[in-house]
Amino acid sequence: MVRIKNRYIAVQIVPHTPVKTLRLNDHTVAKCLLKYVEKYYGVYALGILEHGFRVKYCNDRTKIAIIRCLHRGQRYLSSILPLITLIGDVRAKFRTLYVGATVIQCNKFIINHQRQFLDRMMGQTASAKERQDLFKRVMELDVDR
Amino acid sequence: MEQTKGFYDFCIPYNNDDKVLRAILNELLELGYKTIAIDQSYDHSKKEAVKRGAEMFPEPYSIEHLRKEFSGKLTILQRITILYVDVNVSHAMTVSLNLRKFNLIAGQPKTDAALTHCCTSFNGDIITFDPVAGSRLLVNRKSYQIAVRRGMFFEIKYAPAISDSNNRKDMIKVAQNYFTKGKSKNIIISSGAAHEFQLRGPYDVANLSFIFGLSEDQGKNSIDRFCRQLFLRAESRRVGKTIMFVKSKGPVVFSDSEESAQEDEEMDAIATDMTDDTENSPENKRLKLA
Repeated sequence: MVRIKNRYIAVQIVPHTPVKTLRLNDHTVAKCLLKYVEKYYGVYALGILEHGFRVKYCNDRTKIAIIRCLHRGQRYLSSILPLITLIGDVRAKFRTLYVGATVIQCNKFIINHQRQFLDRMMGQTASAKERQDLFKRVMELDVDR
Repeated sequence: MEQTKGFYDFCIPYNNDDKVLRAILNELLELGYKTIAIDQSYDHSKKEAVKRGAEMFPEPYSIEHLRKEFSGKLTILQRITILYVDVNVSHAMTVSLNLRKFNLIAGQPKTDAALTHCCTSFNGDIITFDPVAGSRLLVNRKSYQIAVRRGMFFEIKYAPAISDSNNRKDMIKVAQNYFTKGKSKNIIISSGAAHEFQLRGPYDVANLSFIFGLSEDQGKNSIDRFCRQLFLRAESRRVGKTIMFVKSKGPVVFSDSEESAQEDEEMDAIATDMTDDTENSPENKRLKLA
């Protein structure tokens, strides 16, 4: 048996000016990433990376995405993430949160991360309704779409 | 000893506008940096030769209010970058009093001769280079080795590399030159970002170091451990020789208590001169004065 090793990179998309939703879906992000890989490393890296490359999850409200790629080509991708300033047609940057080997670990991390974010933001909201809204908005997660 | 925590970013250019600087600091905090240095550059080459003994270097900007605001969250250091063309600068540096107020001193040589001097005898901590002017200056193997042995650190800034592709090429060229000449020893990576959008998280920076020819280990160390080393070195240069006293917390049995008590008084007098970060506890330790 040959085991295929994947890497799952959890990233946060930080827009230049704060917006509510990003209007990005998996396809736009994936296309944009592959375009940048080709721009910086050329067709060689694209060939290595393209097989097994997929944006597993992209939530444009919490602005978190999970990218899957093969273990071999991971460095080609992770090293250019900081150089990107334009995603689709939004001025934004990537912030690497976590690199894991399974999607479950990534999921765990994201839940933790969101919970921490929630703890910080909860203090600033006034009414209970707002708080509930915030909770729903922040913790909305379904990987198996 | 001064406590610092990772991660480090040793080059935040000073901005006159408090609002911009504060936004940058908030973003740094958000990304997980703990120790940063605010940079102030000074062009030595433009100055006319002034008379000996005169103060040439500027006072550090006052950032006390920022320090107070971010106390407990961010350690803010101050750094000066000296641009220079000839070796005359070293004399000016020895007599300057203002220079001691800075935590870190960086040299930015403009000519080949200055670069060699910077590596071999410059009394600072960081060697940096101008990202905009291109990469005409490349360090040679011998001076690189000397600089490494002296504990100097070479700086790579990533913000210019993000914003412009020409700068990116130059930056990669310089960084790869460090790799060819000496396996990328003693390299730190800092931001040099003028806007908070150019800042990246520490792990992003570690990943980015792949294109600079650094290994995974070196990449991580370049924003963490090496910076700590650099800070300690800078601090030792600033403070000079210091006597340290070790205090034991448990009970200590004396063999000859009277004699040591007398000696302790002497030590106490010395210790008051050496202020700063020494912990003076003249109890219960017999010290031999060299």
